[in-house]
Amino acid sequence: MTCQDCRDFIDAYLDNELDVSTAVHVRQHMHGCSDCQELLESRRVVQTLLGNPQVRFEVPATLFGKIQSVLPAASSSAKQQTRARSGVPWLSVPLALAAAVIVLLGLAFLYQTGILDRWPGNSLETEVISNHVRSLLATHLLDVPSTDQHTVKPWFAGKLKFSPPVQDFAENGFRLIGGRLDFIDGREVAAVVYQRNKHVINLFIWPSESNRSTAAQTFAKDGYNVVHWTRGGFQFWLVSDVNAQDLRDFAELEMQRS
Amino acid sequence: MNDEQTRARFEALLLPLMNEAYNLARWLMKNQEDAEDVVQESYLRAFRFFAGFREGTNCRSWFLRIVRNCCYTALEARNVKKNEVPLDFEADDIPDTSPLPSAHLAQKATVEVVREAVAALPVEFREIVVLRELEGLAYKEISEVSGIPIGTVMSRLARGRHQLYLILSKQTEHGRL
Repeated sequence: MTCQDCRDFIDAYLDNELDVSTAVHVRQHMHGCSDCQELLESRRVVQTLLGNPQVRFEVPATLFGKIQSVLPAASSSAKQQTRARSGVPWLSVPLALAAAVIVLLGLAFLYQTGILDRWPGNSLETEVISNHVRSLLATHLLDVPSTDQHTVKPWFAGKLKFSPPVQDFAENGFRLIGGRLDFIDGREVAAVVYQRNKHVINLFIWPSESNRSTAAQTFAKDGYNVVHWTRGGFQFWLVSDVNAQDLRDFAELEMQRS
Repeated sequence: MNDEQTRARFEALLLPLMNEAYNLARWLMKNQEDAEDVVQESYLRAFRFFAGFREGTNCRSWFLRIVRNCCYTALEARNVKKNEVPLDFEADDIPDTSPLPSAHLAQKATVEVVREAVAALPVEFREIVVLRELEGLAYKEISEVSGIPIGTVMSRLARGRHQLYLILSKQTEHGRL
């Protein structure tokens, strides 16, 4: 293999995109050629520098909401329909018609499922319930299915900028079944998922603006119970269709342990 | 599949790609505002074309191709491309055989310097470098996203990396630490 050949293959070699025999030839050539070794080294330097996670850009917190607002018929969160942008220049007439049909179908669905009854309510509370409902509808309840808190907690640590408290309360009848990433209020949040008998419980956690703790507040809407509190720099939103007393007990447990 | 399920499936498949989509757009558009606009439009387009998305297709390539094309449309619209140094000139301008600056110079580049160096690449090289180094795509996926044959992907990646190395060495040599 000549130096020219080696130069042609050096990036694919670095990226493990070469077939085995060519890779062997590149390696053999490199062994006796300091120029090509230097070239490979220069490529590695570039790769290492670009591999620094800080080089990537952070997604603006508002982007998720903006995306939701341009998508037709934000089915799971009715309030976002009110934010839909008007006068979008590339929104063609057929698309607008299609969007209208989808909105109608979406509204029909919302009406049927009773979700619309809640609208317009306390927006965050509604959003939390919507996310709970959606987690049950879609095949997306769990990103990390595990009953082990020592599996679920580190999983979040790799995905989020904060490390949410994750505990199992199986002995009290609230079994940890896993976790997933979710979006609430335009930010990435942790959803820790529990099960009580056949009922699914979502515990949404994200950092709160202040370190102030607030007592648990309970809300009830359309058969769903929500308990909200703030503690240790985190906001907690507990949502489920289990009865309110059980959910408050769960909140007590979580607060005592953390 | 009804609309509700379609929407849920769309969200489950495509919302997790928001970070990749935004980063690609941010690197190609070079500013936050335009990148956000492009990502929004990409999601809308993807939703319109979602019926044509086949199970088993590489979802990431499929969506990033939409993002990439939206970027190019937007770039053409604002005539940014004509301000870029023409591709041929850049390509010819880098003799691959010239002696390389010593590696210890470039190694010291800060995150800011690295970002500026990537931004300084002509868009044709920048997109390939970003897709490979920042988005971690395989050559085949890069080829699908960019619509460029794998051979060209390889040569652009080589030139892009080479040029980055030269820029980084020069910047750190000039005390931009």
